[in-house]
Amino acid sequence: MKSSHKGFAEGALFALNIFIVVLLVASDSLVVPRWLQPLGRMHPLILHFPIVILMLAMVMEFFRFRPEFMNEKLYQTFTSYLLVLGALLSSVTVIMGLFLSREPGYEGDTLLWHKWFGVGVAFTGYAVYLIRNTSKYTITLAKTGALITVLCLLVAGHLGGNLTHGQDFVLGPVMDKTKEAVTIDQALVYNDLIKPIFEVKCLSCHSADKMKGGLMLGDSASIMKGGKSGKLFIAGDPAMSLLLQRVHLPETEKKHMPPAGKMQLSDNEKMLLYLWIKGKAGFNKKVTDLPATDSLRMIAAAMLKPAEGAAEVYDFPTANEKDIQKLNNNYRSVYPLARESAALAVNIYNKTTYSGKVLSELNPVKKQVVSIDLNKMPVKDADLKAIADFENLRRLILNFSEVTGNGLKDLAGLKHLKSLSIAGVKLSGSDIKQIAALKNLEELAVWDTGLSASDIRYLQNQNPKLKLLTGFKDDGRVMKLTNPQLKDAAVVFKQQYNLQLSNPIKGADIRYTTDGSAPDSIRAASYKPGVVLTQSTVIKARAFKAGWQGSDTVQFNIYKCAYTPDSIRFIQYPDSKYKGDGAKTVIDKELGGNNFGNGKWVASQKDLAVMIWFNKPVYLHSVSLNTMRNTGSQIFLPAGVEVWGGADQEHLSLLSSIKTASPLKTDDFGLIPLACKLKSAQRVSCIKLIAKPIKSVPAWHPAKGKPGWVFVDEVFLN
Amino acid sequence: MEKDFLENRLNINRRRFLSRLSLGIGSVALGSLLIPDLFSGKGDEAEADFIPGIPNFAPKAKRVIYLFQDGAPSQLESFDYKPKLREMMGQELPPSVRGNQILTGMTAKQASFPLVGSFYDFKQYGESRAWISDMFPHIGKIADDICIIKSLNTDAINHDPALTFFQTGAQQGNRPSMGSWVSYGLGSENKNLPAFTVLLSKGKGNGQGVYSKLWSNGFLDSIHQGVQFSSGEDPILYLKDPEGLNRHERRKMLDKLAELNDMNYKEFGDPEINTKVQQYEMAYRMQTAVPEIMDVSKEPDDIVKMYGPECLIPGTYAANCLLARKLSENGVRFVQLYHQGWDQHSNLPQEMAGQAKDVDQASAALVTDLKQRGLLDETLVIWGGEFGRTNYSQGKLEKANYGRDHHPRCFSIWMAGGGIKPGIVYGETDEFGYNIIKDPVHVHDFHATILNQLGIDHKKLTFKSQGRRYRLTDVAGNVVKGIIT
Repeated sequence: MKSSHKGFAEGALFALNIFIVVLLVASDSLVVPRWLQPLGRMHPLILHFPIVILMLAMVMEFFRFRPEFMNEKLYQTFTSYLLVLGALLSSVTVIMGLFLSREPGYEGDTLLWHKWFGVGVAFTGYAVYLIRNTSKYTITLAKTGALITVLCLLVAGHLGGNLTHGQDFVLGPVMDKTKEAVTIDQALVYNDLIKPIFEVKCLSCHSADKMKGGLMLGDSASIMKGGKSGKLFIAGDPAMSLLLQRVHLPETEKKHMPPAGKMQLSDNEKMLLYLWIKGKAGFNKKVTDLPATDSLRMIAAAMLKPAEGAAEVYDFPTANEKDIQKLNNNYRSVYPLARESAALAVNIYNKTTYSGKVLSELNPVKKQVVSIDLNKMPVKDADLKAIADFENLRRLILNFSEVTGNGLKDLAGLKHLKSLSIAGVKLSGSDIKQIAALKNLEELAVWDTGLSASDIRYLQNQNPKLKLLTGFKDDGRVMKLTNPQLKDAAVVFKQQYNLQLSNPIKGADIRYTTDGSAPDSIRAASYKPGVVLTQSTVIKARAFKAGWQGSDTVQFNIYKCAYTPDSIRFIQYPDSKYKGDGAKTVIDKELGGNNFGNGKWVASQKDLAVMIWFNKPVYLHSVSLNTMRNTGSQIFLPAGVEVWGGADQEHLSLLSSIKTASPLKTDDFGLIPLACKLKSAQRVSCIKLIAKPIKSVPAWHPAKGKPGWVFVDEVFLN
Repeated sequence: MEKDFLENRLNINRRRFLSRLSLGIGSVALGSLLIPDLFSGKGDEAEADFIPGIPNFAPKAKRVIYLFQDGAPSQLESFDYKPKLREMMGQELPPSVRGNQILTGMTAKQASFPLVGSFYDFKQYGESRAWISDMFPHIGKIADDICIIKSLNTDAINHDPALTFFQTGAQQGNRPSMGSWVSYGLGSENKNLPAFTVLLSKGKGNGQGVYSKLWSNGFLDSIHQGVQFSSGEDPILYLKDPEGLNRHERRKMLDKLAELNDMNYKEFGDPEINTKVQQYEMAYRMQTAVPEIMDVSKEPDDIVKMYGPECLIPGTYAANCLLARKLSENGVRFVQLYHQGWDQHSNLPQEMAGQAKDVDQASAALVTDLKQRGLLDETLVIWGGEFGRTNYSQGKLEKANYGRDHHPRCFSIWMAGGGIKPGIVYGETDEFGYNIIKDPVHVHDFHATILNQLGIDHKKLTFKSQGRRYRLTDVAGNVVKGIIT
C-alpha cells in the first residue's frame, strides 16, 4: 500500500467517524431515503469483514511489543494496514447499521445495546489507530485497547445475532422449552386450561414415575382410566365425579386432594375443572367452539391472550384527503379510524337537516367507509339502498330510525357487515327472515324492536355465533313513584294562584287535600289543571299509578299576601348574624326555606319589631308571620305576636295579639305561619308588628334558662 | 535550524488541520442530507409534537362516560369483600400491616385503630362470581358486563389533591382535565355539542366540593374546556337568545361579529380569536341541539323503570345518567358526572346506604342501556371515587355505626365496555383490605389505559407549554394489559 493510499484511508476514516457522530447525535430524526435503504440492508453482509480483520489486527496489536516481533518490519506494517482497514470497515458497517435501524421492526433494548457496542468497536478501533504511534503508547495501553475492542466486537456480534435470528437462537435447541402464551382463538379447552392445572398441582404424585393411588394424569388415556378408587369423572355430572369430590373435601380430610401442605387449587381452577366435566368438553374441543356466553369461555377469555390480529387490516386504497374534508360539515363527521388508516367512520347528526343526500354524497369515499352512525335519524328504506353501496361497511347503527324490516334485505349484499344496531326500529315476526339473511353478522342489537322471544330464538338458531343484544326486561318489580312537584318552588300570591302540580311519570294520578288531611287514592281530589286558589292554603299531595307504589305525601305551603307595604323598617334590630337584607327581607315574597342561615331569615333573641307604612290606607283583615321551629337549634315559635295599627305611627292601637303554647320536647321541625286575625277589618296606613321570643328555654332543653330564638322570613298582610 | 523544522511541522499540521476540517465539514454536510432538520434549529421539536384530532391507532372506545363518586366510597362496603375484618372486629390494626402509611390529621391522633368489617353482607354475582355488597344489587346484576379493579392506588390522601390528580394527572390543579385531553386528542364527533361535558349531582351523605378547575382546559385551547350542563331551566348558562332576538337576527349578528373578529385576527394573529369565533358558532348550533338532548319526555316507560323514576327529576344522579347516555349517543367524547356525598367519616352504614341507593340502579341501567343499543362496545363507562377508606374505624366503633378515614393505598373501581374485559375482577388486596398484593393499578396506569382504549398512545399525547411538553400521565403510566380485550 502506498503511503498516499494510507493517507486517503486515514482521511476517510476521520470523515466516517465524524459522520457517525452526526448520525448518533441526531439519530431520532434521521430519515433514510429509499435509495439508501439497500445499503443499510447490506449491514448483516458486510459486518463479517470487520469482525475478522479487526479481530486479527487486535490480536497482532496485543503482541506487538513482544521482542521477537518488535523488529519484524513486515509484522509492524501489516498490523498497521490491517488496523486501518479494520477500523475503516467497522465504521462503514456502523453507518450501514444505523441506516438499517431506522427501518420499521427494529427497536427494543437489544438493538440499543447492539448499536452502542457496535459504535464502541468503531470508535475504540479508530482510537487505537490514532494513538498507537505516539510516544506515550505503552504495552499496557496496547493490550487494554486491543482487549476492549475485541470485547466490544464479541458483544456487538452476539447481540446482532440475536437481532437477526431471535433470542437464544444458539442455545435454543438444548434449552427447556418455555410455554408459549396461547391466544384464545387457538386454545383447546383441555390442552390450555385443564392440563396446566394437572401439570402444576397434580403431576408431582400422579405421574408415570410415581402413580400414587394407581392414578396417572399425564395423558388422556390414563385420565380416562382413573385410579384404584375408580373412574375420575362422569362426563356431564360433576357432582358425581370422584375428581371433584376429592378436590372439594375439607382440607383436614385425609382424602382431600391435593393433600394438606401441598399447593392447593385456586377457586378459578376448581371452577374450570367443574365446567370442563359438566360441559363434556373432552380433550379436543376448542375454546371458541363454545358459545360466547358460556361460563368456561368467559373464564378462558380472562386467562388467555386475545386473538392475534384483533386490529383489522384494510386492503382498500386511501381516500382523497380533500374529498374527506369537503364531506365534513356541521352535521356530518367523516374521519379516519386512526392515523394512516384508510378506513373512515361517518356520524350523522340533526334530524331536521337529514335527507338521503347526506348518504349519497359520500359516494367518493364509499370504498373506505367502514362504520356509519345514523342513530335517531329519519332514515328511510330507500336510503338503505345507498348504504348497500358501502361495500366495506363493518358497523351500522340505525337505532330509532324509520327503516322497516323489509328494507333491511338490501343490506344482505354487505359481506363485511359485522355489527348492526336496530334498537327501537319497529319490527314484526315476518321481518326476521330478512335479518337472518344477514349471514355475516356477529352482533345485533334488537332491543325495543317488538320481536318476541321466539323470534329471537329463531335468529339465534339461524346463526349460532350471533351475539344478540336484547336488553332490559321489566321484571315486574313494583317501584315507588316520584313525589308530585309544584311548578314554583315557593309561592306567595296576591289575588289568586293557579295551582300547577305535576309528576314526571306519565299517567300518574295526583291526589291532593287542602284541609291538612293525608291524601289517599279514593277520597282525596284528583288534580286536574285549572284549580285556582284565593286563600293561603296548605296542599298535601301524593301520586298514584297502577303497577306502581304510591309516592310519599308532600306538602306545599301557598301564601296569599294581598298588600305590599310601601316602606318598612326595624324598630328593634335583629341579631347581626341574622339580619337578612334589612327589614324588607320579610316583605320580599321570597320564603326562607329550611336553611336558617341563608340570609332569607331575620332572627333575634330579643323582641323583633318592624314598622310598616302604606302610602294609601288599606283594609287589614289579618296579619300572618311565617316562622321557623327548630328545637335542636334553640329556635322556637314566638311566645307572642302583637299587631298594632293606625293612621300613623303616633296613633297606633293594639289590633290583635296571639300567644303560643309552651314548647314541648316532641315538637318537630316546621315552617309555621302564625295568623293574627283582626276582629273586624281596620283601615290602616301604619302597622307595627312585634314578635316576642320565649324568655327562658324550658328545663328539658340543653340551653335551659337562656332566651329562645325567634325566626321570621315573611309577613303576609291581607 | 530548529525553528525551520518547527515551521515545517507546523505547516504540515496546518495543512492537515485544514484538509481534515474540510473532510469533517463534508461529512457533517453529508449527514445533513439525511437529517432534514439538522441545521434548521428546530431539532426534534417538529417531529415530536402530537397532531391533535386523530387517534394513533384504531380505537376500541370512541367515548367515555365517567361516573365519578366524589368523596371516595368505601371499597370495603362495595367491591372488596374482606370477611377477615368481621372476624377481627374491634381488634387493633397490626402495625406490620399499616407499615409506614401516613394518616390524615383526622385520625393521626386516634389512640386506637379498631378494625371494622362491612356492616352489609356480600353476595357473589354472575358467571364471574364477583363479590358485591348488598347495597349494590343492580350493579350485581351486570357483574358479567363489568371489570372490577380492586387494586387502584393513588398518591394523595386528601380530597382536593386526590380528585385533581384523578382528573388531571397532577395534584396541583393547573393542568388540563382528562376530558380536555381527550377532546384535544380526538376532536369532536358532533360539531353541534361540546366534546367534553360535565354533570353534577348531590347525595345526602357528607359531601366534598367539586370545582370548575376539575374540568378546566389548563394550557390547552379553551375550546377543550368542559361545559357544565345544569338542571335548571337553562341547562347551559347564557345559551338562550335574549328575549326579542330571533334566530335570523342572531345569525346576522354572528356573521358581522365574525367579520370584525377576522379583521382583528388579521391584525394581531392571536389564535384565541379564532377559537372564540368557533365557540360562538358552536353555541349557535347548540341552541337547537341542546333542547332536544335535555328533553327526556319521549323516553319510553321501560327506560324510566330501568333507571328508576328519579331519572325524570332534573339534577338527580339518575337523571344525569340518562342524560349522559343521550349526550354520549350524540357523539360527546367525554361525559363527566360527579355525584357528591361519599365522604363517610362517621355514620357510614346509614349514609352509604343512601348514597348507594342514589347510584346503584341508574349506574347499572346506563351500562345495560348502552349495551342494548349496541353502543357499549364503543363507550367506556367508569365508576369510582378518588381514593379508598381505612379498614379501621374513625371515631368510636359501634356495631351499626362507624366511620372510615381516607386510604390511598388501595380502592376499587369498575369499568365497562370500550374494549375492557367484561366479567373479571382484577387485582388483589391483603385480607385486611389495606395493601395491594397483586396487580397494582396506579392512577397514571389508569389514565394510560383509558387513553389506550381511545386509540391514543399516552406517551405521544403531548402539549408544549412554557418550554416543557406535558402529558396526562406526566412521566409515568403503563397500560394495564390484563384488563383489555
